[in-house]
Amino acid sequence: MKNTILQLPQRAFTGLLAALIVTLLGACGDKATTTQVVSPAQTSAAVSGDVFQVLATSDLRDAQPLEQMVEKATGIKLRFRYGGTMESTEAVQNGKAEADAAWFANAKYLLSDPQGQARVKLQEKIMLSPIVVGVSESQAVQLGWDKPEVAAKITWKTIAQAAKDGQLKYALSNPATSNQGFMALMGVAAAASQKAEALTAQDVDRAAISGFIKGYKLPGDNSTYLSEKFIEQQGPRLNAFINYESWLLSLNQSGKLKEKLRLIYPLEGVATADYPLMLLSDSKRDAYTKIVAYLKGDEAQTWLSKTTLRRAVNPDVAKAQAALFPANSMLIELPFSPDRALADGLIDAYLNEFRQPIASTFVLDVSGSMNGGNRRQQLVQALQYIAGDDASLTGRIARLTSREKIWMLPFSEVPYPSTYFEVPAGKPSAKGVQVQTDTAAKQAVLDKVRDYAEGLNMNGGTALYDAVLQALQNMSAERKKNPAYQYSVVAFTDGENNKGRGLAEFKTAYAALPEDVKAVPVFMVLFGEANEKDLKDLVATTGGRIFDARKASLYSVFKDIRAFQ
Amino acid sequence: MKTAVKATITALLLAAFGGAAYYSFRGTSALPGSAGGLLSSVQAVELSGLISLDVEPYFKDPRVIKLLADNKLSVSATRIGSRDMAAKVVPGQVPDFFFPSGVVAANQIGDAAKNAKVSATVYSPFYTPMVIASWTPIAQVLAANGIAKEMSPKVWNVDFAKLTQTMLDKKRWKDLKESQAYPVSKSVLVSTTDVRKSNSAAMYLALSSFAINGGDIVTDKTTAQKTALRVSELFKRQGYQENYVNGNFDDYATIGMGKTPMAFIYENQMVSYALLKKGVGADMVLLYPQPTIFNKVVFVATSERAKALGELLSSNTELQRIAVDYGFRIGDSAYFAQTVKATGLAIEERITQVIDPPSFDTMAEMIEIISREMGQ
Repeated sequence: MKNTILQLPQRAFTGLLAALIVTLLGACGDKATTTQVVSPAQTSAAVSGDVFQVLATSDLRDAQPLEQMVEKATGIKLRFRYGGTMESTEAVQNGKAEADAAWFANAKYLLSDPQGQARVKLQEKIMLSPIVVGVSESQAVQLGWDKPEVAAKITWKTIAQAAKDGQLKYALSNPATSNQGFMALMGVAAAASQKAEALTAQDVDRAAISGFIKGYKLPGDNSTYLSEKFIEQQGPRLNAFINYESWLLSLNQSGKLKEKLRLIYPLEGVATADYPLMLLSDSKRDAYTKIVAYLKGDEAQTWLSKTTLRRAVNPDVAKAQAALFPANSMLIELPFSPDRALADGLIDAYLNEFRQPIASTFVLDVSGSMNGGNRRQQLVQALQYIAGDDASLTGRIARLTSREKIWMLPFSEVPYPSTYFEVPAGKPSAKGVQVQTDTAAKQAVLDKVRDYAEGLNMNGGTALYDAVLQALQNMSAERKKNPAYQYSVVAFTDGENNKGRGLAEFKTAYAALPEDVKAVPVFMVLFGEANEKDLKDLVATTGGRIFDARKASLYSVFKDIRAFQ
Repeated sequence: MKTAVKATITALLLAAFGGAAYYSFRGTSALPGSAGGLLSSVQAVELSGLISLDVEPYFKDPRVIKLLADNKLSVSATRIGSRDMAAKVVPGQVPDFFFPSGVVAANQIGDAAKNAKVSATVYSPFYTPMVIASWTPIAQVLAANGIAKEMSPKVWNVDFAKLTQTMLDKKRWKDLKESQAYPVSKSVLVSTTDVRKSNSAAMYLALSSFAINGGDIVTDKTTAQKTALRVSELFKRQGYQENYVNGNFDDYATIGMGKTPMAFIYENQMVSYALLKKGVGADMVLLYPQPTIFNKVVFVATSERAKALGELLSSNTELQRIAVDYGFRIGDSAYFAQTVKATGLAIEERITQVIDPPSFDTMAEMIEIISREMGQ
């Protein structure tokens, strides 16, 4: 008789959203650090008896003081461990969360899946934050969106039109890996379709999506990263930020923006994150119940409202703290469709058809030290992985997309000549969206990339900075020729620079490059004995981010990088 | 359809609706005081039980603990999902009792007990009607369209047949007359939990099928098939449904009218909320479907010792009154009405239009069809 009733949904949901779960859940980002080192699948101490361990998505880092508050109020040692959205969701689903509870911005996808559902023993929504559009005040005035009667009528369709017309240039986390990004696309699709209820893949108005994407100027997979870049670049080139209300209100309060953002709540298109705290360990029920009671009580709810600017679920506190939030008329929620074909099709079409295509140079360390410790093997596997045929959604995000350009630039003693690959475009569907199978031409290019990786030979020294500089020059030159691509440099090294330019000389040379090289971020992968301090310094100069592959597998790090490209 | 699934539906439905459901259980023949008498010579006995979210606060109430202790009973209760309870009927490791949230799960437990040759005795100490949690502006829009009527201040009746027809006609809120207060292009739909796993949603199916079948209980297979196909739209078109017991009510109470204009719930969810918060939001109202259906809360004793508890819960005036504090209706309806009135939540004191659900086989047939439709 075990789980008899659950057999019903299992049957009905066979295969539903299993892959999606991984990618769409939750928010990204963390407010705590500036240059963040990503280490996916990090596992801290195993769950011990007297600690209540919570696996939280990194956007909840600002709620960390709750550890002390909960301990003081209940005596329970609450400890948060933060993880990337994908890894955390996958961990819960596979029963490998090593935590007593999980706390995500949104768990619809996890809970649409029988396997995920079975992991969650109890759940309680703790707070709320809708996804909204923040528009630079001056741009809002120009669009007339500062007038309340106009703002009240703005739908996702209006927003998509403004993006298409070049009036809205926004930052947004990756629609293929984040809740905010995906729900924004769904909002546009729903508003353009004029349908009263759950959409299907056939209903998606391709022109509306493609218009909306024209305004997508700053991608990323982490709100901290996006915020830093937004603060730097806010102006005519970047005038809007689509994110949780809490995040945008915090930015407005921070005093770091050149001008404040006016928050637009799309009419009939608000998607609210409800932050369910989900019990995973049956044995910790009592502690969980106490923690939930405290978190939903006046003290914690008031603190969450005031400090993190998320809305209280406790009605008394919500009423008392209402002044912290813009006074809206009623927010009409975007209906969420659990249709897998729609979600998969939308993401596939986003990656392979709609998004600004990726152009990047992969700077690959082929020095002699790469022969040791299975390192060459890891690099070859990681490259083969992104050129592979992993049909899971994580795999699909990582793999090379249609229209993508890639230059492989190996280096050891010196940078070597680069090898160029271009993935051909697919045939878009005439109506709606659907997952496309690879064309033979695309397969052929992917084969070549895999062969290339297999042929890499390792020997000699490490002229990292020369190679990165050359890659930046290459991207900058390509960008002049064809600005319609999203350019970046992915650099990978397992040791200290010991050939060619040093860091100081690199910085001098970088400063002499044309100004528009600043639009090309460097995603630097730390591996082996790489010098973390110097590489942080490097990305601080060039813009971009450090990714740590010393503890996580190289291909999982590559997967993370793909979400920033 | 696979046998396992068939068996599941069987378990789900075994008498989910109505007295016939109880056939799989032993009779409720515990005599008042007999168990108590048996126990009077010994120290208080600790009873272990598995309880649902709905009754957990009740068992943790110090007044309940004291009353039980006065009767030489102490209870160690663990909260788990009602649906997971049947799996805990393992010979040799069965807790003394189960207290799930509804008749469906209770019957599932009874069935498991029967299979495991564990004796089970059933009590139904409290009950609650199915209602629609809504908002004054929504009720007014429905009233303007002849679908609802205010019977007394803030107590609304909703003509369930008309409401169902409006939903099946795919009307949008803004298509309705005088809908300025809710000029929304979403379809008129009542939000429910997932019918494939939830008791309250199965209740919704029972009511909708009655409405679609012209105010008759569905009895034959052909009608069941035809009706289920129509009802399935009302579930499918909702999109994502929360799949835990309080899911749609949480959305109603925390996110509000913008997300959930109407939520199909147990009345006790709203009443206990009102008692806890000492009131409800200014616009929150209950719509009483005409007709509606009752959900009985069922206590399943799986040990001799637990029968004393079941008996006490059903007959002790103070224990009964405490159940009212958690939103349940009891035999003493005046006491219930008076307690709830104090919160400002308006309720219908006398519910007269109540139907029985279709038979077990018919419900199984309909749920099977809806599950298939929703799986597509």
